[in-house]
Parts: sequence; structure tokens; C-alpha cells
Amino acid sequence: MRGRTVLVIGLTVVVAIVIQTTLFGRLRVVTPDLVMLIGILLALTRVRPEAVLAVAFISGLIMDLLGASIIGLRAVVYTTIAYIAVRTKERAELGRVTIAVWSGLLTLVGVVLLLLVGTLFGQAGVVGGGAVRVMILVPLANLVVAALLAPTFVRLVDHDRTALRYP
Amino acid sequence: MLSTKRSDRALPTFISLLVIGVLLMTFDVRLDGGGVVGVLRSGTQAIVSPMQRLAAYVVNPVANALDSLSNVASLSERNAALAAQLAETQAALIASQDDRAKLELLEQIYELDADEEQLGRTIANVIGAVDAALLIDKGTRDGVLVGQPVVDTNGYVVGSVKSASSGSATILPITATREGLTVLIGAQTGTLVSKAFSSELGLEMNLDVFTAREPVLAGDRVLTSAASTDYPAGLPVGEVLEDASPESTSLTSTVRPFVDPETLRFVVVLAWPPDPVTAATDDTIPEETTATTIADEAGTTTTTTTTPEGDG
Repeated sequence: MRGRTVLVIGLTVVVAIVIQTTLFGRLRVVTPDLVMLIGILLALTRVRPEAVLAVAFISGLIMDLLGASIIGLRAVVYTTIAYIAVRTKERAELGRVTIAVWSGLLTLVGVVLLLLVGTLFGQAGVVGGGAVRVMILVPLANLVVAALLAPTFVRLVDHDRTALRYP
Repeated sequence: MLSTKRSDRALPTFISLLVIGVLLMTFDVRLDGGGVVGVLRSGTQAIVSPMQRLAAYVVNPVANALDSLSNVASLSERNAALAAQLAETQAALIASQDDRAKLELLEQIYELDADEEQLGRTIANVIGAVDAALLIDKGTRDGVLVGQPVVDTNGYVVGSVKSASSGSATILPITATREGLTVLIGAQTGTLVSKAFSSELGLEMNLDVFTAREPVLAGDRVLTSAASTDYPAGLPVGEVLEDASPESTSLTSTVRPFVDPETLRFVVVLAWPPDPVTAATDDTIPEETTATTIADEAGTTTTTTTTPEGDG
């Protein structure tokens, strides 16, 4: 990865974490999981898959450290989702709508994994408040955010204005 | 079809990170959030909290505005209910002022000192949230320490401090904690446990009374018990939602906490116990002052007095 790419990804992750823990921490109706979404959308870029996994892991770890759940929970889940994203990205690169639906579905898998792994480690109360609401709203919100921002994000990271342009 | 292009090293990386993640989780569970894990949490909070504070300056007005918009439908009903509540509260306040005046008069007559032990309080802004945990803008430099109880501005129990850095802290609400909270319902002691995977929008907790002698009724107030090691006694927690009678010697019911953590904008962190050293030594049985009198053959007596050490 070039220095500029690293800087862009780093800044994006920090901004996402700050917005996630402040604005979206306060608003309980509109609740995208921006940090998970970055791991998903990074798979669409030219960044190496190992680096995508590392970014997903580190950003998940930071979220764990800022919250009250056990350390490693989000890191593991975000890494898993990023890996699935890396392996399935060719199915998503058909258009803006496909990318949005793909992001939404991956987020749904992520939320379910978070609840399942959290329950295994006795964290159901921490991550599972209003489980049904979370399983519906978070993937939907991520779907909308992905539809709006995915092409811009990919172009920004890849420094390629032609990336993800569909007829 | 799954993509295998450029993902040759992705699988080993994925498995390695997965193993590291599971190891971290195991360490955290084994260390119970303390040790290295606690230091890591504090360090990360110390780095991120200035940015969160900055963001909160911008975000809070926006969040408040959006919250207000989402509540606009029920605004007139809430106004009417609040007006009625205000009238009742004012009446109660006048009555309590009369009682207070009488009390002060009696204290003067009998020369009593009001022995009110005020707990140290730190008022903090809620600047964000991660999952169920709340982030506040006060930390160790403001006297906020891990384990301290947190209430809202009305004195209702919110939760306790999970981790703290110099400028911020994380609050874990009682509705999200794994540990049960020892409470008092009437004259009975019970345990409040959060409901895992609550699918409802409302907050509810399970109440278990293992040595039940009498039924609990809907509307009964639930207070923190003196048996609790985490909270001072007598703080209001919530109210019982449904009647329940003892079955054999146990009783189970549902409690709705007074505080919905998602709506909090300010919290109050209590410096409790007021003096941790005192609290620690209070647990031990104090050594009584003893006097031993020995009479010798000459008829004189020697008295030896033993008093406890002066550290508690």
C-alpha cells in the first residue's frame, strides 16, 4: 500500500469510529455500523486482501476497547465479514444497487455473528439489547450508506476516478 | 463463484487474526477486564476521547434536534403529562418544605447535629455510546474511578463505571451487565438480572427472590440493597411490572428500570464508597476496647486497656 492510501484508510477509520461512537451512539433510530462497513467496502478496492483483514481487525479491536464488551469480539466478527467480502466481491461489482444489497447482507451476517459470538462469551446483554431491532435497522442503514458512499470511498482509496462507474 | 484471485495469503491471515482475536477474548474473560486489558482500554480512551469530545460539540445539537423531531408527534401529550406531574411535584415540595422546617426546629430545640453524609458527585455529559455502554466526558482527573456507581440527575440507578481514562469513562448500565444487582423490594432482598436478547423496545429485567416470604405487587418500588457491594443502599432502581407470589420459597417477576440509558444526556458519578479504606476495614469485625484488671497480692490493681488501631 502506498503512503497516501494508508493515510486515507487510517483517517477514514478514525472518522468512522468517532462518528460511530458519538453521533450514531446518540441516535438509536438511524444506526449504521460504519466501522464494519469500511471493512466491507475496502474489499472492493485494490488494497491487498491481507491488508483489508488487518484494517478490519484493528478497527474492530479499537471499537472493543472503547466499549464495554470483551476485547476481540468485534475484531473477530469484523475480520470474518471482511474475509467473506474479499471472497465474494466479484458478485457485488455489478452496480450500485448490487453493492448496496451485498453490503446490507454482509452487515446482517455480521450482526448475527456479533450476537452469537457475544452470547457464547456471555456478552448478550452488552451487544444484544433489542436484538430484532438491531438485526433489521443496522443492515438497512448500512445498505443505504453503501449505496450513497461506496463509489466515492473506493475512488478515494484507489485514487482512481473511474472506479465503480456504471452505465 | 467465490473469488480466489489475490487471496492466496488471505486465508492464513484470516485464520491467524481469528486465533489472535479468540486469544484476546479468552484473556479478557480470564482477567475480568483488569490488568493489561484495563490499561489497554484506558490508553485507547485517552487517545480517542479528545476527538470524541470535539465531535460531541458538533454532534450533540444535531442529535438533540433529530431526537426532538422524532418525538414531535407525542409532544403535546407529554407536555400535558409533564404539567400534571409538575403540579403534583410542587404540592409535594411545599409539603416537604413544611416537614423540613419542623425538622430543623426540632433539631435546634434538641441541639442535634444533622449528620448528613453527602457523597461526592461528578456530573458528566454523555458524549456517545458503543453498544449498550455510554461514554462520558469525565475521567480519572475528575475523580471518576472504575467501579463507582452512576445515577441519573433524579438519583435513579444507571449503572457503574466500567473503565476510565484521564478525560473520559465508559459506563455499563445495569440493563447490560452480566452480574446481578442485589435489590430490596419491601422487606425482601432479591436479585435483578438483565434479560439477554431482549426483542422488545422497552427495558425489562428479571427479578428473582430466593427467600420469598410475601408476594410482590405491580408498582412496588425496587431499591438498591445494603447487601450490594457495588451501590449505596436505598437508591431507586425501578418498579415491579407484574404481581408475583412465592412458589415454594422463590419468586420471579419482571422489573422496569426507571432509567432508559439511551435517553440520558447527563449522568452523576457517585464517589462511593466515600472512603475505600474505611469501607474495606468496615468489613472486618472491629476489635473491642478491652480492660483487664489484675489484682496483685499487695492489694493494688493494674488495669490494661486495649484499643483498636487508629487506621479505620
